[in-house]
Amino acid sequence: MRRNRWLMGLVLAATALAVWAQPAAARIKLATLPVRERVEIQLENENATLVEEERVVTLLKGTNHIDFSWTNTQIDKWTILFRPLAVADTVRVINQSYPPGENALVWEVFADNAGPVKVRISYIIGNLRRNFSYRATAENSEKTLTLRTYMRVNNYSGEEFGMAGVWGGIAGIFQKEMGLQEAKEILVAKFAEVPITKKFIFNWQSGQRVPDEPNQRYVIMDYVLKNEGAKGAAAKPAAKPGEEATTLGTFPLPYGKVRIFVKDSKQPPNEAFLGEDWGQFTPIDDEMKLYLGQARDVKVERTVKKNDRTAIHGNLFSQEVIVQYKMQNFKKDALTLDIEEDMNALRNEFCGGGKDHEASWELLAQTTDKSKVERKSAQKVEIHVALPAAPKADEKKPDEVKKPDEVIFLLHLMFKNEW
Amino acid sequence: MKHIASAAALLVLLVAGAAQARNIDLVTLPPRDTVQLTIYNSEDLTLVRETRSVTFKKGANRLEFSWANTLIDPTSCYFRPLAHENEIEVLDTTFPQDRPEVLIWNVDSKFEGQVPVEVSYFTSGISWNADYLMVTNAAETTMALDGYVTVVNNSGEDYEGAQVRLVVGKINLVEKIQQLAGVHAYGGVDLNGVVQEKAKDLKTDALRSTFATYDARSGGMGGGGANALAKQQQREAVIVKEGLSEYFIFTIEGWQTVKTGWSQRMSSFRAREVPFDVLYRYRPHQYGDKPVRFFILANDKPHKMGDSPLPDGMIRVFRENGRDGLTFYVAQSSKYIPINEKIELNVGKDDQIVYERVVLDVGRQNFIYDENHKPEPVVVGWDETRKWQEEIRNYRQKPIKMEIRHVLPGDVTFGMEVPGLKLYDFHTPEYTLDLPASTKKKFTSDGTFLLGRNMKQNRVKLAGQ
Repeated sequence: MRRNRWLMGLVLAATALAVWAQPAAARIKLATLPVRERVEIQLENENATLVEEERVVTLLKGTNHIDFSWTNTQIDKWTILFRPLAVADTVRVINQSYPPGENALVWEVFADNAGPVKVRISYIIGNLRRNFSYRATAENSEKTLTLRTYMRVNNYSGEEFGMAGVWGGIAGIFQKEMGLQEAKEILVAKFAEVPITKKFIFNWQSGQRVPDEPNQRYVIMDYVLKNEGAKGAAAKPAAKPGEEATTLGTFPLPYGKVRIFVKDSKQPPNEAFLGEDWGQFTPIDDEMKLYLGQARDVKVERTVKKNDRTAIHGNLFSQEVIVQYKMQNFKKDALTLDIEEDMNALRNEFCGGGKDHEASWELLAQTTDKSKVERKSAQKVEIHVALPAAPKADEKKPDEVKKPDEVIFLLHLMFKNEW
Repeated sequence: MKHIASAAALLVLLVAGAAQARNIDLVTLPPRDTVQLTIYNSEDLTLVRETRSVTFKKGANRLEFSWANTLIDPTSCYFRPLAHENEIEVLDTTFPQDRPEVLIWNVDSKFEGQVPVEVSYFTSGISWNADYLMVTNAAETTMALDGYVTVVNNSGEDYEGAQVRLVVGKINLVEKIQQLAGVHAYGGVDLNGVVQEKAKDLKTDALRSTFATYDARSGGMGGGGANALAKQQQREAVIVKEGLSEYFIFTIEGWQTVKTGWSQRMSSFRAREVPFDVLYRYRPHQYGDKPVRFFILANDKPHKMGDSPLPDGMIRVFRENGRDGLTFYVAQSSKYIPINEKIELNVGKDDQIVYERVVLDVGRQNFIYDENHKPEPVVVGWDETRKWQEEIRNYRQKPIKMEIRHVLPGDVTFGMEVPGLKLYDFHTPEYTLDLPASTKKKFTSDGTFLLGRNMKQNRVKLAGQ
């Protein structure tokens, strides 16, 4: 504790009461300086960092004044707690007072007996924050990946904590030197062989247009990993980089940036950067979706094959629509394409825009496979279409071009009672 | 009371007949016996009541009361004898034009001898506030609840050995005490010039020596003496609460010292092992689009409180993290909580509880038309049926209870198979759903909206009721 420079100090003032009756500017103190025995930095709450420190103070029998002061740090003085440990009621805080014009408070503590007492002081401190990030390295097969979770602690609090326990709300407590103006990135956990699925999504409304192809949109792709693992397994912090990892599903994955890499097929493999995305907070058993970019080897053309209106009475009508999706997979692996349709937007395309009511619709018979049409809500529909892998080149005729098969899916709809 | 650069003092002027010296006074300085501060937190107002012993002679007596560098409202200064009330009467109060921050009481006495008197006045610059500390156990079933009051003294006056009373409640003032303190009692401009300062200093110096003697003798104000003070200092001051009219008064036991510029925080109550419930609420119109978590308890005996109302103040919530440490949840201001009133503490959203509601299906029927519309009739009224699906995902390792309010505008019939379904108000069904630990559950509900000319009401009707 360097009191003269960045002081956050605890002073046990062995003074008479009369000394404390002086005006604030003239507080004369004869003091012992109990050092920190243990510090723990609680970063679980992303909006408020709690520091808990333990010190041993030597108390006189009777009334003692303990002065806690700080400079160049942002401590919320109303959150400061003082708790004597393991002394029952033999040490009592009588009151606490805040001197004018100082970052300080004074506890008046009464001790039944003289001697050392361990106390814990807790407070909320500013400019000591954390954030999480991930590095995901997918195997060349893109069936599994290794996920490393990092916690970055930025200590701009103005205080040097020395060796401190750092708790980010997940995994374990890490004993780290927390220096002044220092940022530290801690490997919180490493998860190996995490199964991933790759999702391919076609969305007519939000997809990027393909140049010169008015009926096409680019397909996007996600990695999806599930935060699940062996039930009941205790979270094991990967205190050392490279340590064998624990399994997922032992704690929620916090929000943070995920940088995604993939291994190539060389031995030993190199890594290529695939992209990055914000990983959302993912509770245990939930899924984390990571947007990777566009999958340009999957081609989708959307055309409308039927658009018939049937008058009911006056301006009331029904609209029959058939949307055709023609798909080709140029990849060497088979995949499932998810086609997302916004039924309100689709209705507005054919029944006139600007409706102030939701679409009322039903699937009709010419739909290619109704079981593949998943009604997420009245507005959102997802169609799951299996696309075979592109044909392999014939070894005997390497120059012969083999195009992938076209897969056609029809979505046959009736928008009912529109006007 | 220790004086540094300010003073509120009572002097007995020795009157020598009708002809009074204008600038030369001979005075005695009766020391203060007790002082009591009654501090209001709703206004910048403190009532100071002090008692002194004054020796009266029969006939006319002049008492001078002066204050310097303080924020006393001169219109509030009041003198009354505590004995021989029928024999001692204040005939008039004079505020000398040329001596600001001074008043003179002309007192007629039919009694000769020593009489205890009370001088009271309002001052500003002293305030108090409440705050609370909640620490829940790791399982979030019980909590330790500590209440504190903090007295903040910026009055310019040190108060030592004072009895402190804190008033909980909202009073009405037509003028601010701070403004009155800056205005001469005659309504003139404040005379805080150099000449006046010098005059005050003379009195102040005289008073200091008097009070120094007094302090040494009594060990502080309040008359408790050194033994009582020493005994008090072995434990926290107990705060005694009592109701008075529409207000509540917290009296801090013993004698307190609050120096000017300082704040003093004292414990007002402690409750341990206080049971509480955790309730999730989904009210998007009120709390946003995610469920928020509430700690529910009450200021009553079953929750080990209920002795007094809880004044408005900041509540800071911690949780024992199960690793011999604390986790900070939230700091939230709380309104005044009467005895037996529920305490609902919003501790924020919980990412491990997910609530989603979607409209799963829509249908329309019962159309009516404006047949006279040209070139064709148009729809002017219809019924719309909606089917909602609500999914709650509880990723926590313990069961939860979620209270949902679903605001539905218009003429609506709402139906849901859930126990306890009721209307919170004319357009808001309310229901509570239970979910076991680590489960996901879907619930469905239906609504029929009468729209356009079909709409006859603006209210929700519960199906089957």
